[in-house]
Parts: sequence; structure tokens; C-alpha cells
Amino acid sequence: MEKALITPEEIALARHCLAYAQEQGAQMVRITLSKSLMNLVGVLSGEVDKTAHALDRSLQLRLFVDGKFGSFSSNRLEKEGLEAFLRSAIGTVRMLEADEFRRLPEPERLAKDATGGQELGLYDSTVENLTSEQRRELALASMAWPRKAQLENGFTLIAEEGEYSDSVFDSLTIDSQGLYARHTETSFEIGYESTIQDARGNHISSYWWDAQPYFKDLAWKDCAQTACRRAAALMGPQTVPGGKYTLILDSECASKVVTPLLNALGGYSLQQKNSFLNDSLGKKLFPDNLTILDLPRTKGQTGCRLFDSEGVATREMPIIEKGVVKTYFLSTYIAPKMQMEPTIEDATRIRVLPTGGCRTQEEVLQQVQDGILVTGFNGGNSNPATGNFSYGIEGFLVKGGKKVHPVREMLVTGNFLDLWNNLAIAADDARNCMSKLIPTLAFRNVDFSA
Amino acid sequence: MIESKNYYLDIFQVDTASLDKLVEEGLRSGGSYCDLYFENTSYGSLLLRDGAVTSGGKHIDFGVGIRVLSGEKTGYAYSESTGWADMVSCARAAAQIATRPADVSPYGTRNPSRGEPNPAADRYPIGQPWWGVPMDGFLPFLQQLENSVKSRDARVEKVIVNLAFQVSDILMYNSFRELKWDTRPMGSVSVSVVFRQGDQLENKSTSRSFRLGAEMLTDALVEDMARDVVSGIDDRFAARRPKGGQMPVVMGAGASGILLHEAMGHAFEADFNRKGTSIFADKMGRRVCAEGINILDDGTLQGNRGSLNFDDEGIPGQKTYMVEDGILTSYLHDRISAAHYGVRPTGNGRRESFRYAPLPRMRATYMESGNAKKEDLIASVSKGIYVDEFSNGQVQIGEGDFTFYVKAGYLIEDGRLTMPVKDINIIGNGPQALADMCGVADDLVIDPGAWTCGKEQSVPVSCGIPTVLIGKLTVGGE
Repeated sequence: MEKALITPEEIALARHCLAYAQEQGAQMVRITLSKSLMNLVGVLSGEVDKTAHALDRSLQLRLFVDGKFGSFSSNRLEKEGLEAFLRSAIGTVRMLEADEFRRLPEPERLAKDATGGQELGLYDSTVENLTSEQRRELALASMAWPRKAQLENGFTLIAEEGEYSDSVFDSLTIDSQGLYARHTETSFEIGYESTIQDARGNHISSYWWDAQPYFKDLAWKDCAQTACRRAAALMGPQTVPGGKYTLILDSECASKVVTPLLNALGGYSLQQKNSFLNDSLGKKLFPDNLTILDLPRTKGQTGCRLFDSEGVATREMPIIEKGVVKTYFLSTYIAPKMQMEPTIEDATRIRVLPTGGCRTQEEVLQQVQDGILVTGFNGGNSNPATGNFSYGIEGFLVKGGKKVHPVREMLVTGNFLDLWNNLAIAADDARNCMSKLIPTLAFRNVDFSA
Repeated sequence: MIESKNYYLDIFQVDTASLDKLVEEGLRSGGSYCDLYFENTSYGSLLLRDGAVTSGGKHIDFGVGIRVLSGEKTGYAYSESTGWADMVSCARAAAQIATRPADVSPYGTRNPSRGEPNPAADRYPIGQPWWGVPMDGFLPFLQQLENSVKSRDARVEKVIVNLAFQVSDILMYNSFRELKWDTRPMGSVSVSVVFRQGDQLENKSTSRSFRLGAEMLTDALVEDMARDVVSGIDDRFAARRPKGGQMPVVMGAGASGILLHEAMGHAFEADFNRKGTSIFADKMGRRVCAEGINILDDGTLQGNRGSLNFDDEGIPGQKTYMVEDGILTSYLHDRISAAHYGVRPTGNGRRESFRYAPLPRMRATYMESGNAKKEDLIASVSKGIYVDEFSNGQVQIGEGDFTFYVKAGYLIEDGRLTMPVKDINIIGNGPQALADMCGVADDLVIDPGAWTCGKEQSVPVSCGIPTVLIGKLTVGGE
């Protein structure tokens, strides 16, 4: 990186804070210094509507004092002010109750291969040379698409709103036992939302987006058009009788049924008995055809990290393998509370492996023949203790392997364990711009209400 | 607690002359309006888990956001330093939105009658300043709440109590030379409990949040929250999923105000209407629900989580009727949308922090009481559902389709509450649900929970409603 966001002076300040905290009585300290720079151009119906420029910084302090623990942060990075803040913070920690489980990670677990920040190849120096004018031109150019053909298809384009943004994120984590871990990445993003009106006056909205660590990979040309096309596809929704259907879940929104699994395997949920996957480690609770991997160290891929917020090195590992739960996500704090070995705080870049012999969504539709293709969720939630869920959906009725018409005001309801045990197909069409690589999924016998 | 003007100028190390110069920088490219939003927020938190308060902290967020408007276009930049060079750099970045000389500003004019901040009219005076209490002074409250919860039910397996508080000092200035200032407190307490009955686990939580000082941490609050979080747990264990489908829904007083927030409030926010995306974009002045129904958004409730002395554009907090006697009478406006529609701003210009430009946002959204009785509304339903505990909601602005997640409720069979139900989503369409509202009881409750609205940015809000009957909504189930 030619123009580092975090300067040598700021690194020296972070080191000073670490030493100063120890002088003031902290036995262990971890400090994370983060900075980010973001530029954004928003466009509305063919014109630049907003611009934004943001430079953020933050110093996060984890203080371990006399067997007690506190978490502090400030974005005021003047040395004298920070010293006063630290003195006060250490005084505050001393007022809390002792916690025998608070400690820094064992040194052998720490990342040692992230000292430069760019080891994962997530930084594109193009960001350093982009001008305001270039950003405006790109945002406006991304809106230029042949609307006439669309307008002849029975709808009016009411509003078209989009944003182009680029950002740099730079963070450094150090601790009192020698950790030095840096992560630097760029992100280039484009997103559009289109609202159309059909012949009956109904408004329908949809969106599309892309995000890439490298500017050259950003698919900005098709974004606005895709958003409009997706909205147009949702025209003329019809009510479908409730009942049991095969649920085909679009890759774009499939994380809705995966994230709760990951949360349920998280240490805080498990330790608090607020997880439907309590006591699941090593057990076969899912079908043979379900394997979920964590791939945090793939170079150049969105969301990858060499270390977690404690500085612990990530590693590639199975989360669920052929239906067997292979890991919990246990931090240095939670693991001893559960009398277990620590792993990693959280999943980083997960991948659901293909199963069922389909590569694309079209092939999935052909194989299942009939069902409901869910392309988006409208609200809903789940119960972490029981795994029960209920979500509003939008999507399409599928018959004979084809989308017949959009559906409206429908809900899908069930339990995650039951749902995953009805997994029929996982395709191979996940978008690499997402941090979770989840393809189109198909589940049998799912309850829909309408 | 509103302090003197100089208190705020000193915090941010500015004076009125430098504010003027900064606004000039913002307008140098031809912008038609410029405003400055200075913020110094200190957050405190304490967490009781596994029987001890073993985690706590303090977080400081400080900076200035500079907005330049050119027509309806927004240039925005912020700085986490109020050093002069940083602020000028920031103003020049925001100024780039303007590419031509300014016309006459459409964003209203200075109105001296609105006056300067008045401590006597403060909607959230602070009895006990949060930062005047040492952190260990809060520990007994958290422990008392945990003990009270545990003493009420032997099935309690785990308790988490969280206290979060913040105090924000705000200074606002704009190109009309209007200077406003405010100090906004917020205290929030939440308690989450996991219960075990045999092999079955259930969770339940509750929260309280107010714009008050530490004086809100009373024995009465402990009693109220502990009682609330254990109440109904027998029904929670017994609850089942109902058979799904369309049915009448009676929404209990209080938290059911989420219906108004999702189904109507967002669609009445004027930015969605200005852009033509809202389903209510062409319904101003038209009947949207039955006679006698009044729906409002209110920033004037004393100590309420959504209340504001001034919004984040310096417009006085106020009470805005959106629906009067069933007729749509006002959207919720910030300065941009008010100028677009040629009306006065309604004090709904809000932002998460100095990092964000303001948008039209709700404050405390509720419906006034009607004349019906709750019991009569339930008795009028032969087969339906009663709901009164929620976790979250969402709306699709264009289509008007909204949903909210029901943590707990009951089946209604032949006019009586019968089987407890839980964990279901309800979906409907905003205009249709308003039109289908066929009974409003006389029991308005403003919910005291820690509601947060997440439209692009997170802002604290509140909601309330009397018991209402909606003719039909789609209920998730088996």
C-alpha cells in the first residue's frame, strides 16, 4: 500500500497506550486501532443526488486488571486525552467484579503471518487514484441502460436509486504479549434499487448489487438494469394456497437459513443455553448431504481474515461435515467457562458444498419440478433456543420446472433442524462477492402459509 | 439537561465566528444551504452474566458532520476532529455536491420566534447525571434485578442483565445562522432469561429505555422488569404454532404499535413519498382508514425514548398528526422534503450520529384511544389470534407489505383466548391493514421498550397503540 491509512505516528501512539496501560496497573492489554476511508456517490433517477466522504478512526482497548476486565474505545486520538481516558478506564475496571476466565489467547494460537496487512491480497491501490469526478462518472454511467425496451413491457419506472462507493479499511491489533496483526482491504461497491408501477398502479421494488475487493472486478454496468428486471419479474403476484411445498431458496437470500446455524454454534449462545444446538459437538444432527466449511484464508476473496478480533489465527476447517457437527466457535473467554478448548470466535467465509447434482438454479428447478422459489425475505425471526422460525417471503410459484407467477403475502414456518434434514439440493452458484458462499438450496416438505 | 450555549461551544472548541466561516466554506461551490452537526457522545455499559457484573466499559464518539444542499441534492462529510484544518477539509468535500451558483434557498427562513433552547422546556431533564455515578454504584441495581428474577421462578437457568447509557452533547448551526444545542440522555436496561422445564428450554426478555438520567434505576423498575420477564412463561412452554392462514388479528395495547411503525409510519416518511416509491405517495388528503382513527408521531413525550427538544436539523420537537379522523393529513418531513412539498418541517430530521446526514424518521408513533373495549374486540372474533409480544418488524415501502414477528400470543376461539402461540410471523399490506382496522379500544399504552429503527441508520424510537382489531392478516403456521 502506497498510502497507508494508519500512520507510523498512530502505531507509535497505540504502542504508547499499551505501555501506559501497563504502567497504570493493567496486567494484560489488547489494543485495536482501526481507520477507514469511504467515498460515495448516490444517484437518483439519472442525476447525482448525494456525495459523502468519511474518514473514521477508533482505538479500542481491552483491559485486564487484577482479574477484572473492561472494554473501552475512543475516536479522540490525542495523546494526553488518551492517557487520561486510560487512567479513568483502569479505575472503572477495578470497580467491576472479578472474572477468572478473562485472559489473552495463548501466544501459540496467535496469527504470526499478518504483519503487513496485505497478505490476503485484498488491497487494490486503484482506490488511491480515483478522483471525485471519476466516481461521479461511474455512478452516472452505471445508470445508463436501454430503458425503452423495459418500458414497453407494461410498467413505468417510478424511481431508480443507486450508490457507488469505495472504501479502504485498515486495522492493527497488538497486545501485551507481542501480538502484531494487521488487516488491510479495499472494497468497491455498487447497489441499485428500482421501483416500478404496473398497469394497476401497484408499486414493486427490487435491488441488485455487487461488491469486490478489486475495482476491475466490479460488475457495475448491469446493476441498475438487473434491479429493474428483478422488480418487473415480481409484477402480478398471486395468492397461492398454504400447504407443504418444496422450498427453493435463491442464493442471494440463502444466508437466512445458514446464519442461525452458525449463531447456534457460537460460544455465547451455547454457554448461556440459548441454542438449539446445545450438546451437538460430534453428533450427527444433519443429513449426510450437508457439509459446511470455513475457508477464511482464500486469497483475494471477500470477507477473508487471517485472524479474529483476539488476534487468533484463523484456519480452514469443517463446521458441519456429512451431517456431523465438527466445531463450536469458542473464544478464549468462553471456552474455559465451558471446560472446552478454544477454537475461533466466529466463522469467517463459509461455503456450503454442492449436493444433489445441480450446478445452477435452473437445474434445481428442473429437478424439483414443483415448489416455491423464494427470492427474498420480508421480516420474520427465529427462536435461538428452539430453532423455530417464521419468515415473510417473496418469490415465485414453480410448476413443471418453470417459474409460473410471483406469489404474495406468504410466510414460511418451521424448525431449522427439520428444515436442514429435508435438504435435497445445494447447487454450485454462490456469488463470490458474498462473504458466505451459499448456493441455491432446495428443501422438501416445508410449511407455507398464505 | 440543557446547559448554557458556551458549554457546547467550549466542548467543540468553536465560536460563532468560526461557525460562520465554516458555513461559508461549505457554500463556496454554490450550495444553497449548509448545516453543521457537532456531537460528543459518551456511552457506558455494564453486563451481568453468570451471576456477576464482569464486563463493562466506556466509549467516546466525537466529531462534526457537515451537510451542503444544492436543490434536493446532498453533499455530506464528517470529521472526527474539530481542528480548523480538518473541518475546512470536510466542508470543502461536502461543498462538491454543488456545481452551479445557488438559487434562493428553499429550506425555509430563519424564524426567531422559535427561539433558542430553553432549559425550562427540556423534555428530558436529568435528575442524576449518568457520569456522576461511579460504575460500581450501578452494580447493586443489576444484582437486585437478577435476584428478583431468580426468586420468582425455579426454572430460571440463565440471566443476563445489561445496562447501557449514553449522554450526547449536540451543537447545531446552519446557513440561516440558527444556533441550537441540546444534551440528550438515554438509559436502557434489558434482561434476558433462559428457562428450563425438563428437557425444554425457552427464552424470554424485556427492556426499558428512557431519555432520563440514572434516577430511572429504581426499585420500582426492578419490580416491573422482573415481573414482566417471568410472566407468561408457563404459556410459553405450552405454546404451539397455530394453523397458518388469513384470519382476524387482535393486537394488544402497547408493543403492537410496531404495526403502526412498519405498516404506516415508514410509508408516511416523506423521503419515500418525495421519490414516489411509497405506496402512500398519492394518498395525501384521502381517507386511509375508518373515521375516528388518529395516528401521530410525537417528539414531545416527557422522557420518552423518541423525544427530542430539537431534531437533528435544529427544528423544534413537535407532535405531528399523520392521520386525523381517518384522513391522511401529513407526512413526516425533514428540511428537504418539507421544501419539496412546500410545507414546514415537522421535526423528523434525524440521524444516527454525526457520521450520517439526516433523514425523515419517526419518533414515538402511536394511535389515540378509541371507544371500544378490549374484551368486546376479542369477543367479536370467532376464530383468530391475539398477539401482544413482538421482536422485530419490516416493511417493503413500494409494495406496502409489512411483517412483524410475534413472540407470544393466543388463539381466539369463539370469542375467548385459548391456546398460547409463539414464534410466528404475521404479514399484511399497509393500506389494506389500515382499511381493515375495524375496532379501536380505549386503552392506549406507549410501550417502554428499547425500540430501534434501522432505516439506513439506527435511531431510538418508541411506539404505542390501544388494543385494535384488524379484520384479516396472514399468520404464519403449520
